[in-house]
Amino acid sequence: MSAAVPIIVLFYVLGVGAWLAAALDRAALKLMAGRPLAAATMAEPWRQGDLHLVRQRIWTERPDAMNWLLAPALYLILAAVGMSVVPFAPGFVVADLDAGIVLWGACEALTVVVVFLHGWSANAPLPLIGAYRYVAIGLSAMLLSMFVLIAAALPAESLAVSAIVESQASVWNVVRQPPGLLLFLMLGLSLTLRGPFDYADASDLAGGTSAEDSGPARAAWQAARLAMLVSVSAMTSAVFLGGYHGPWLPGPVWMLVKMAGVLAALVGATHMLARLPPARMLTLLWTVLLPLAFLVLALVGAEVLLWK
Amino acid sequence: MEVKDLAFFVLAASAVWTGWRVFRVDSMVRASFSLMLSFIAVGLIMLLLAAPYIGIATVFMMAVEMMVMALFMVMFMMNPAGLNPMWMVHQHRLAAATGFITFAALTIAVLLSDLPGNPVDPAKPVIHDLGVELLGNSMLIFETAGITLLATMVGTVILSSRSGRYGPADEGSLPPPLTPGGRPAGRVPEDEE
Amino acid sequence: MAVSGLARLATSAPAAIYPVVGKDGLAAVEDLSLHPAVSLQPTPRHASVLLVSGEIRRGDHPALRRLHDQLPHPRATLWWRTTPAPGFPQAENVEGDVARAVELVWRQLMTGERRSEDNLLPDEPPAAWRGKGDHGQGGEGMMGGKPYGRPMAMTDEDQRDGLALDAYTACFGPFLSVLPPGLLLELTLQGDVVQSAKVLRAPFAQAVADEPLRRVARLLRPLGLAGAAERFQRTAAAQTGDLKILDRALRWSGALHAIPPGLGEIAGEDIRASLRRWWEQAQGIASPASLGDGRLVDLLPGLEWSEAILVANSFEYDRLLRLCPPDREDDGDQEDCS
Repeated sequence: MSAAVPIIVLFYVLGVGAWLAAALDRAALKLMAGRPLAAATMAEPWRQGDLHLVRQRIWTERPDAMNWLLAPALYLILAAVGMSVVPFAPGFVVADLDAGIVLWGACEALTVVVVFLHGWSANAPLPLIGAYRYVAIGLSAMLLSMFVLIAAALPAESLAVSAIVESQASVWNVVRQPPGLLLFLMLGLSLTLRGPFDYADASDLAGGTSAEDSGPARAAWQAARLAMLVSVSAMTSAVFLGGYHGPWLPGPVWMLVKMAGVLAALVGATHMLARLPPARMLTLLWTVLLPLAFLVLALVGAEVLLWK
Repeated sequence: MEVKDLAFFVLAASAVWTGWRVFRVDSMVRASFSLMLSFIAVGLIMLLLAAPYIGIATVFMMAVEMMVMALFMVMFMMNPAGLNPMWMVHQHRLAAATGFITFAALTIAVLLSDLPGNPVDPAKPVIHDLGVELLGNSMLIFETAGITLLATMVGTVILSSRSGRYGPADEGSLPPPLTPGGRPAGRVPEDEE
Repeated sequence: MAVSGLARLATSAPAAIYPVVGKDGLAAVEDLSLHPAVSLQPTPRHASVLLVSGEIRRGDHPALRRLHDQLPHPRATLWWRTTPAPGFPQAENVEGDVARAVELVWRQLMTGERRSEDNLLPDEPPAAWRGKGDHGQGGEGMMGGKPYGRPMAMTDEDQRDGLALDAYTACFGPFLSVLPPGLLLELTLQGDVVQSAKVLRAPFAQAVADEPLRRVARLLRPLGLAGAAERFQRTAAAQTGDLKILDRALRWSGALHAIPPGLGEIAGEDIRASLRRWWEQAQGIASPASLGDGRLVDLLPGLEWSEAILVANSFEYDRLLRLCPPDREDDGDQEDCS
């Protein structure tokens, strides 16, 4: 098989997934708002994206133009690179790295940098405040996810994502360490600037880091956020939900079904849960969730030692 | 020239160029992230040297570190000053001299030492071996270093924070007396006795 | 014709409006936001139609002019429930069915039938470069001077942990979507913490429709619950609806727990208690309470941005007006926040 096939599939999944995520997002908003749902919801992302394309892109006074232009592109690249280590079937993966989840961790860290740059470069107070407080929450959530990922890698005794998927042939990690899945989903919300973890593009900042975006720049940033959501759902499915393992259906289909499920859960959480003020969230992260992540890590370690 | 050699030269050149940009750009945030790019290039060179874990971990660590550094700069110089042009160097003569001497010393050291020439077998489980080394023979060294760094960080935060055990530090916080109305408990500095 | 195809597709999206709410204009704008053919945007950068609803003070005209120029092309301005003020040449007055009018203008903008409005102000920096350095920097050392009219950052006393950070002073309002309409605040921020606050202009009075359900909705929006907020608004506008669903949306979202206890407390009632009381009022369990007054500016210092926004949105309008006595006399002509 040519090495190009997994790459093409990756971009295809990212694109279709982003569109699905946008449509789900619109549908969830309408459901919560009590508006009638119609089949046309599926087309709405196109209309919205298209609308941005026909509008003018505005520059603020003395922006950091290079970083403002680069931020959405880098965000999109990070989504693609993060997803490149996730196998869709045995051996069907773009980059089967031995240190796959470390690469994912690097993508998480660089995502915080990119979101910060996006808010910083507009040279305006509201985006800057969004960027500023996102770093505090984003770095903490990312730190936590490192322990969660290590706990998921322990039963596999490998840092490669394909080995982690293989280790779940009999028991999925979600059964072994259910809090891990929840913590990782929280990280997903934080990486994609959504709902209760949306401290960057939040409604209390009138759009936060994207408050000054208009025209094609806005379309690019929103598309990159959606692509990252797809990437997170792929990683969650592979690391906690057994990846391509599952009865009756072929492996890749299972993978896509699981990804769609995670997408729906993340989109639902976006619209259903309230966002805590950052100070309260930071306290929660450091005093409750981080110890929980440690506890999960210790328990999984004990399990691996005793039963293997 | 193989692809790997080409990659090495490109990465090395970009590490040097972004490192040079740190001193030429006019904003603190750009300087921080130029430095990050330089480190990322070095991390990728590590990948070429068959050290995938250390290479990617360098990218990861440097992203977090430079982010924290940039954030602190913004904390002390909030918008819009950060985007007003700044001159990013000071004491540049001393810095240039130090940099040149260090560069010369390192170059001489590299040229004079007998570098090993045995490529790593691609099938070798390098990450596994690194883990065994870190948590085996070298465990005492790494754990001591790790705990020391952690204790330093915690200690710095405690020493610099305003809220002390017995009230705000800048309002002369004193421990309560052991007997009602007595002297504050705890050690009294000699020069105050 | 790819371009016209794009334009046609864009026309079918809901009209993107940035509402500028004046005196007594809020309830009407909130009801308009429920219309499927329009979508209210949180920032002018995302909108194409500037909708001025209700009477605007003369002193807010400079701010409105700046706001107008922030909309990306193609753009249009509609004045609703008030007449266009002098100095807005291309503005159009709307009477009757505003949703239809907005839709029409929107379609004309997207297809190019209607010319986009020109800038009202010259597109140039508000102040000239006044730096001193020969390396492009502000001053003689690494920094200093007053480039583009902005002083360089300087650290300031802190009230929380002694970490002296840069104090950044700026004006927020009077048409910032997250603040009550008309409220113009001068905030000094350290990071996202409010160090001091001044009310430069009070919010507009909103005589009609300040029902408890609308108040709940205004508090849910900054918590990131746009969908739930819309459902509350819809129920308020229709004056009928299933309160059980609302109750579930409110409880399951954790909105009550997300608000820190003791936040924005005046006369023993904090925001959490206000939210609970409004919801009980809406259900007919509790009756309106008359509470003591304080000053908004005394509540804000020490709060983090999102808490400050919650506080600003947590009062009944008549009470908010009493809480916001302007800190200086408004002569109406003065250019604010330059």
